[in-house]
Amino acid sequence: MARDHGVIGSAAPAAARQSERLPWLLVAAPLAVLLLFFALPNALLLSASVLKSEAQQLTNELTLENYSFLFTRPLYIWAFLRTFIVGISVGVIDVVLGYPLAYFLVRTRSRWKGLLIALALAPLLASVVVRTYGWYIILNRFGVANDLLLGLGLINERVAFMPSTGAIIVGLAHALLPYTVLTIMGSLQGINPNLELAAMSLGASRARTFFDVVLPLSFPGIAGGFILAFSIAISAYATPAILGGPATQVMATAIYGFMTQLLDWSIGAALAVILVVCAVALAYAAARLGARQGAL
Amino acid sequence: MKPWSALRAVVIAIYVFMLGPIVITAAVSFNQSNRSQFPPRGFSLQWWHRAFSAEWLDPLVFSLKLALLAALISTLLALPLAFALARHRFPGRAALTALTLGPLMLPALVTGVGLLQLFQYAGAREYIGFTALLVGHVVICLPFAVRTIAISLHTLPPNIELAAASLGASRAAALWHVVLPLIKTGIVAGAVFAFVHSFTDVNLSLFLVRPGEQPITVKILGFLEYGFAPTLAAVSVITLLVPLALVASVERVSGLGDFIYAARERG
Repeated sequence: MARDHGVIGSAAPAAARQSERLPWLLVAAPLAVLLLFFALPNALLLSASVLKSEAQQLTNELTLENYSFLFTRPLYIWAFLRTFIVGISVGVIDVVLGYPLAYFLVRTRSRWKGLLIALALAPLLASVVVRTYGWYIILNRFGVANDLLLGLGLINERVAFMPSTGAIIVGLAHALLPYTVLTIMGSLQGINPNLELAAMSLGASRARTFFDVVLPLSFPGIAGGFILAFSIAISAYATPAILGGPATQVMATAIYGFMTQLLDWSIGAALAVILVVCAVALAYAAARLGARQGAL
Repeated sequence: MKPWSALRAVVIAIYVFMLGPIVITAAVSFNQSNRSQFPPRGFSLQWWHRAFSAEWLDPLVFSLKLALLAALISTLLALPLAFALARHRFPGRAALTALTLGPLMLPALVTGVGLLQLFQYAGAREYIGFTALLVGHVVICLPFAVRTIAISLHTLPPNIELAAASLGASRAAALWHVVLPLIKTGIVAGAVFAFVHSFTDVNLSLFLVRPGEQPITVKILGFLEYGFAPTLAAVSVITLLVPLALVASVERVSGLGDFIYAARERG
C-alpha cells in the first residue's frame, strides 16, 4: 500500500540516486512558477504589511501601524476572536461527527461500503459556495427550518437564524466534514484489527477495547482532522460571507473588505500575514502531534 | 450486537446532515413559486430554463476553460517536479518540497491577495482577469498534482529503469515506454484533482476577477448579496454535476480510489 506515508518527504530510493546536483532540467519550469507566483507574492505581502501606503502605492516608510491598527480596534479584535471561535467549534463538531462515520466506514463489512465512502466524500466535489447556499435555503427567515418549526408549533413567529456566528459554524462544519472523515479514516486504517481481538481475548469489553486501545491509537487522526478543519475554517471566505453579515466579520471577510472596499492594502496585507502565521503554526502543531502522517 | 446498531443509527443521521442540504437545494430548483421553498410547491422547469441563459452559462464556460487549462498546465509542471522529488537526491530538496507543498499549506485566500498586489505593483493590472486567475489556479493546483504523481512513482520498483536499461533501452526510452505508462493512473488522478480543485475554488478567485471574467463560484457569491432565487439552486446543481460527471467517468476507466488520500488536505 503506497499511501502518502512520506511520499514526497521520504528518502529517494537508493537505486535512483543518479544525481547529486539539483536536477535543473526537471525542476526549472515548476520552480520558476512557484518562486514567481507563490513565493514572491507572499514576500510582497509581508513587506507591504510593514510599509506605509498611499493610494494603493507603497512608500518606503517602515511602520508597524498596520498591525497596531488591527490590534487596537474592537471591530477587528472581535473578528480575530470570532475567527478562532468558529475554527475551534468547527474542528470539535467535525471530529465528533467525523469519528463515528470514519469508524463505521473502516470497519463495516457492508457490500455498500464503496458507495458509502463515495457518498461521504462526494460533497467535496461541490464548491463551498454551493454547499453553503443549501444552508441559506434552510436557515433564512423564510427558509426550511422556520417553516418546519412553525409547522410543528415550536415557534410562533419567524426566527432569524442568520446572519449569525452559529450559522457560520454550522455551514463550515458541514463543508469541512469530509476532510476530517478522510483524515480519521487514514489513521484508523493503520490500526491492526488483531490488537482489538487481543484486548478482547484478554477479557476487555467492547467498550473498554475501544476506549483503551482504538481511541488512543487513532489520536493522530483526531488531532489531524481537528487541525485540518480548524485551519481551513479560519481562512474560509464564502461561508461567513453568505451566512454572516456586517456584524459577524471574520478575518477572511475583513481582508476582502480591506482589499476591495476600503482599499487599504497595507492593512489587508497585515491581516493576511497574521492568517499565514496561524496556518504555519497549525501545520507545525499538526506535525508535532504526528498528525500529518508524513504528508509534508 | 447492540453498539453496532447504535453506531449505524448515528451514521445515518450524519449522512442526513451531510447530504440533506444538497438534496434540498436540488429539490428547490424545481419550485413553481419564486421563493426557495422546501418541499417545493408545484413543479416547474422555469428556473432551470433561466440557469441555461447566457448570464449563467458564460461564467460556467469560463470556469470550465479555467479549470481545464489549470489542470493541464499544473499536471505538465508537476510531472518533472514529482519525478525530481521522488527519484533524486540533491541539495535543497527539502526546501523544494516545502515550496511545492506551500500553496497547500498557506490559505488560498492569502495567495490571491498576494497575486493581486503583485500584478498591481508590477504594473500588470490589465492581466487581472483570466490570466491572473489561470496563474493562481496553476499554483494552488500544483501540490495536488505533484503529490498524486509522487505517490504513483513510489509504487514502482526503484530499479525498473535499470531493468529496462539492461535490456538495451535508453533512459528516454525507459521513461517513455516503461515509467510513464505505469504512472498513467497517477497522472490522470492528479489532473482530475487539479480540475476539481480549480473548478470549486472561490477563496483565491475572489481577488483576481474583473467584470465579464469571473468563475461561476464568484458569480454565485456576488448574486447572493442581492438576494436569491431558485435559479441559483438550479445553477448550483449544474456546478455540482460537472465535477461529479468527470470523476465518475474517470473512475470507471482508471480508478481514483487509491489516490483519494492525497486529496485529504485542503480540497
